[in-house]
Amino acid sequence: MLPLEHLQTTMARSVLAMEPVVAANMLTAGKADPLARLRIYQNNTRSSLTAALMAVFPVTVRLVDERFFRFAASEFIRRHPPVESRLARYGAGFPRFLKAIDTLSDMPIVAETARLEWAIAEALDTASLPPRSLAEYNNTDLGLSPDILLQPSLRLIVSHWSILSVWMAHQQETAVDQNSIWARRPERVALWRSGNYVRLFLLDRASFAFWHSLKHGFGLEHATGRALALDPAFDLVSALVRLFRDRLVTNVRVAADSPSN
Amino acid sequence: MPTKFSPFTIPESAGIGLRSPHIAEMLTRRPSAGWLEVHAENYMGDGAGVEALERLRQIYPLSVHGVGLSLGSAQGLDRDHLEKLRKVCERFQPDLVSEHLAWSVADGAYLNDLLPLRYDEEALAIVARNVETVQDALKRQVLIENLSAYLAFADSSMNEAEFLAELAARTGCGLLLDVNNVHVSAHNLQYDAKAFIDALPADAIGEIHLAGHATNRVGADTVLIDDHGSRVPPVVWTLYRHAIERLGPRPTLIEWDTDVPILDVLLGEAMWADMLTASIMFNRKQAARQSQPTEARSTPICLAVESETTTSMPVLAAFAAARCARPSMSAVLPSIEEEYHAAA
Repeated sequence: MLPLEHLQTTMARSVLAMEPVVAANMLTAGKADPLARLRIYQNNTRSSLTAALMAVFPVTVRLVDERFFRFAASEFIRRHPPVESRLARYGAGFPRFLKAIDTLSDMPIVAETARLEWAIAEALDTASLPPRSLAEYNNTDLGLSPDILLQPSLRLIVSHWSILSVWMAHQQETAVDQNSIWARRPERVALWRSGNYVRLFLLDRASFAFWHSLKHGFGLEHATGRALALDPAFDLVSALVRLFRDRLVTNVRVAADSPSN
Repeated sequence: MPTKFSPFTIPESAGIGLRSPHIAEMLTRRPSAGWLEVHAENYMGDGAGVEALERLRQIYPLSVHGVGLSLGSAQGLDRDHLEKLRKVCERFQPDLVSEHLAWSVADGAYLNDLLPLRYDEEALAIVARNVETVQDALKRQVLIENLSAYLAFADSSMNEAEFLAELAARTGCGLLLDVNNVHVSAHNLQYDAKAFIDALPADAIGEIHLAGHATNRVGADTVLIDDHGSRVPPVVWTLYRHAIERLGPRPTLIEWDTDVPILDVLLGEAMWADMLTASIMFNRKQAARQSQPTEARSTPICLAVESETTTSMPVLAAFAAARCARPSMSAVLPSIEEEYHAAA
């Protein structure tokens, strides 16, 4: 008789590999065929995890057709099953998996859109902190280059492809002319959670660099320098007003000594 | 700093499983529901659902039901997951916490399904150790739920009910009796569902689950699938009646996870569970009264059986009348179900 851990390992491999590794004489199912019953567990695992991926990547499903998505998801599940039981965290590796599929090699927009959808899923699972207003700092000496902390759900994505245009076009139920919206055109996307929803914006190069520096804690001076290097006409005041207006600022504080704090 | 919630006690009446399509309506309408149960794993992040649940927790008693701890894993518990469960309990301060007698993690993979154990002494020692670890971490008793199964292991040396009874005795855990799971497993593995319920220690059962299931036919095999995707069927209500007659009222949850209907359908199912329990307790009182001598019945003495329950509903008279008209409660079920359907 197998030790329990060995038995469970064998069962898990049978369930994931979608073919029985476990010996039939170890199982019982009344008068039914136990290996047929084992297939119920195989189907449950595959179908429930596929459904979880389809919920996270709905636009990707539409881009490749549901049948192909199910095939790709099934392969992904078999090779990269979840390692934890919080399914909100399952799917981080799916965009890279799609990128490596030969059939999709001439459709890079698919994996790139999946990358955007994963960022949306991450943002939806992240806290939304109370926003701060500019007026709160009227009488506060923040030094020459304060740190500006932004919402933790903020995600910044740059792609060589028109991912936000594709994503937006698929938010309606109407048919989408794929060819008219796919374009090799850099798009820099900012997204963050706002209540039950995610807000998405396209940013120009300078604004993207500005937001990116702030998000990674490099402080206002560094962020401004990066933005001005890309666009000498970068308007710092407007950029700051926008951050507060979009309720993205969660704290402003005197910068620590280290520029990489 | 966690919010301090009022310490609601979950009543011995019906509640509903909170599902995301209903959250907004629950917040605005605040319907009468005895209590709510949520899946712990859905509230381990920091999404909008977590904020909504904090608001609902101020209104409703709450039960936290884990589906991913894999108490039956021989490799032991995922300590990170247990810590997340502890934080969920700290955050929402539930009145009940439950998990499953199952395993879902092995060989480094999470299967997103609840698999059965080989019921033997080795598994009992492993599960008991894992349950004790959970109870120590949460500093509270947890309820362990019986499983819906499609197969079993030939080398099991005891049945699931015996395993659960011994687990409760060893660890002090409570039990969550899923009546639909009993029916599904009893059909699929061909054993007596009522005998299963009767073999469990009644005092340990702190909660009951009710749900629907699907019927699949593959060749000569008719297998019941525990999909939580339909109303509680008459056969499960009948088994619930058997459980309540033996146990008395228990907190009872209506579970619905696939093809989730409008909220009123869940509330209707919960109401039906309350009415069925109330009718059983009413009949029990009537029977106790009738067994008393005539002079004793005329005096307003509080009978011992009355103190067993606080269940009291205005519909009792209607039930008494219905019972006179139709001696079998299960016989009136179809018409009640049709009425719900029309209302939905």
